[in-house]
Amino acid sequence: MDLSVLERVKWLQQQQMVSPEFFEILGSDGREELRRVESYLGNNNDELQSFRHYETIDGCISRTSSFQMEQVKNNEENRVIALQNKRKTEGKTEKRENKKKKIKTEDETESSMKGKSNMSNSETSSEIEKRDYIHVRARRGEATDRHSLAERARREKLSKKMKCLQDIVPGCNKVTGKAGMLDEIINYVQSLQQQVEFLSMKLSVLNPELEFHINELSTKQFQACFTDLPEAVSKQSMMVDASSFPLHQTTSLDYSVKNSNQTISLGSKEQTSWEIHSQCLYNNLRTDSVSNFFSFK
Amino acid sequence: MASADKPINTDVPEKDVFALHFLQSLSNLRRQNTFNSPEKTNDRVKKIKKAAYVSMARAAGGTSRLWSRALLRRAAKETNKVVRFSRRKKRVTWLRRRSNRRDPVEEEEKEAERLRNLVPGGGAMETSKLIEETAYYIKCLSMQVKVMQCLVDGLSPK
Repeated sequence: MDLSVLERVKWLQQQQMVSPEFFEILGSDGREELRRVESYLGNNNDELQSFRHYETIDGCISRTSSFQMEQVKNNEENRVIALQNKRKTEGKTEKRENKKKKIKTEDETESSMKGKSNMSNSETSSEIEKRDYIHVRARRGEATDRHSLAERARREKLSKKMKCLQDIVPGCNKVTGKAGMLDEIINYVQSLQQQVEFLSMKLSVLNPELEFHINELSTKQFQACFTDLPEAVSKQSMMVDASSFPLHQTTSLDYSVKNSNQTISLGSKEQTSWEIHSQCLYNNLRTDSVSNFFSFK
Repeated sequence: MASADKPINTDVPEKDVFALHFLQSLSNLRRQNTFNSPEKTNDRVKKIKKAAYVSMARAAGGTSRLWSRALLRRAAKETNKVVRFSRRKKRVTWLRRRSNRRDPVEEEEKEAERLRNLVPGGGAMETSKLIEETAYYIKCLSMQVKVMQCLVDGLSPK
């Protein structure tokens, strides 16, 4: 594949590039482009070498043609190119860039039938045009470019998932683009982890003050405490079962949980310290969970 | 808030599951004799932190998520416990080899690398999977933070 491209290029050089027909067809716009092509293709080997990078356009040269024979279409293309120039370019390897650039077609099969000189010339000009932008919409007729299709699909998948992440992470909406969003996400994860560490430090200070008789509690009690108030009220029937558990002053605990509407007397000294703390805990957790439900959900 | 996103499934268990696991682990910690000594606060902090992560991993679905598996494995390594995982383990390492080999050049991978370092088990995942796991991880982390915050508020002297 390399050789064929280089051969064509050399042939073009020898031919001095232009046939008079072209000027008619190209019009003024095309002339500038051709001049660009000429200057680029010069006589230097270096430029040939740099051109070699685009060798990986396997066989697309024979197939693709962005060169429109009509003036109107050319203008449209330029507009499209201009639009695409404004898009954010993602850094990729050159190989990938090439693979994407070649996906630009209209009537490729027809144009491949035309004279080789026209083809190669238009291709070079199209390649030079394409170098300005990277994102090329995949239009019809490029089914054989499996790599680029797969790339495109993967990229869209990724962007969809990034959008989901955007919803989860607060404050991501203002920043656009992958890099900024990733930064935000990383900051958020780091801050969450720091919060965990901080809270665990706090807990380590508070912890020795009380004892958790957690194993004696049932999961139902937990659910009642940690969820909404209305749910807790509806689970009162289940609370009755818990009285069979070997808790200190079981009845008082059940009572405190049942009477969710009443304020619980924390000042009763008859209860053990655990009772008081657990009651505070349950109340706080319940109210906090309610408020959290409203604010966070 | 509908947590059923189409590309990513971020249904996290309710807060009480996290709370239950965390409190259970805390009570287990308290049973250790050396736990209450006032001198070794650093150790205590580390243990509590580890307990928080492990309980979060268990509450979030045990071994069904890559990051939770990695967390549990990391924790078990320190205690020399034998942790059993399902067959999936092999696939994970295969993915890691594959992604390490071809990706460091791309800029996208450079960006993703920071994320990989943060999320446990990140080195073994491809970028798209990494994003999924990150989403789930963030939700679980925020749940855990909420639970711990409630605990601290409840326990702090008034």
